[in-house]
Amino acid sequence: MATETKFGYTACAKYEALLEDYLDGALELTDAKSAEQHWRDCANCRGALEQAASSVRLLRLAGPSVGPGPAFARTVMARIRAAEQERSSERAGFWQPLVSLGWRFAATATLVLGALVSYDAGWGRHAQRNLATARLTGTSDIFAPDPANPPADRDEVLMMVAETNHGK
Amino acid sequence: MADVPKSMAASAQALPLSLDRKRKKEEDRELVRLSQDGTEAAFEELVRRHQQRVFALVGGILRRPEDVEDVAQQVFLKAYLGIKRFDQRAAFSTWLYKIAVNECWDYLRKKKVRPLVYEADLSEEQVSRLDGIVSADRPPEGPGARAETREVLDRMLAALPEQDRQLLVLKEMEGFSVQELAEILDLNVNTVKVRLFRARGRIMDVYRRRMDSSGKLAGSRSTQRKG
Repeated sequence: MATETKFGYTACAKYEALLEDYLDGALELTDAKSAEQHWRDCANCRGALEQAASSVRLLRLAGPSVGPGPAFARTVMARIRAAEQERSSERAGFWQPLVSLGWRFAATATLVLGALVSYDAGWGRHAQRNLATARLTGTSDIFAPDPANPPADRDEVLMMVAETNHGK
Repeated sequence: MADVPKSMAASAQALPLSLDRKRKKEEDRELVRLSQDGTEAAFEELVRRHQQRVFALVGGILRRPEDVEDVAQQVFLKAYLGIKRFDQRAAFSTWLYKIAVNECWDYLRKKKVRPLVYEADLSEEQVSRLDGIVSADRPPEGPGARAETREVLDRMLAALPEQDRQLLVLKEMEGFSVQELAEILDLNVNTVKVRLFRARGRIMDVYRRRMDSSGKLAGSRSTQRKG
């Protein structure tokens, strides 16, 4: 139902979208003809269309808002680069405690390994020196077999044990 | 040209435009793909191509020139950070404009302001100047006069519901199509058309009231009604 307000017109609800298309020049020829036929008979739709056309003229007086300056794209890219940098440093910041813990662990492990290797090497030299001293002085482990004259059989072993006991 | 039916003439004129749009969309797709692969220059080209429209959209919603550049930059930054997740099912421009609309609303929410708040009504002088411009039916010349006309129209638009204001500004001042508005604002195309048409009636109501209250329109209105 078309109605007229105090100041303007209200179109028939069925024709509102059609009228907008008509204003926009987006109406197909057949639709345009049937719409024109309607508002030839309907004063409210005709009035509403005139009113809408006036609004187009009124609002277009202002023109579009001011566009970006020539440096806008470069400014955006600079902002993007800064944000990327910030993000990567934040990401690094998040893993930093774990990374430093890892480094500390690696450093400690290296030190311990180094100490073990050097201790092992030192102990080995010390043992060799003791063996050489024992050979020179003729003292050796009594139960250790003589590498130069190993016992030939079981009897010889028993003889060796017996000799050692006599020596005692 | 006189022999060509109206609809065919319209489509003949529209053809190069639609081809141009199609070509631009294809180029955008390629630029998006390159940006997704990490080519910064491709994204910079996308910024150059869409900066004008993003400015218009942000400006149309915020109506605060001092905030537009900052928000527009933020829009492109968000687009850059999210471009790897963009699957290209929609056009890049639609996706970008949706980011812009969301960014505007976030911004307004954070600032806790309406897009535009004018406490004062139009002064007699402003009404008189606007009447002169409307009678002349051509845009005012010079940046100062244009800015003033825009301010007067903004004051009138502020009297409308927010959605009406946005639709009118984006359609008539910033040049967005009905189809684009429907996509950007997540509305049905028909809904946009109906709302736009009703909003036109409302802004003309506001205009006539302003003119009536200053006695400018009384003569012309009575003449119009009689006719």
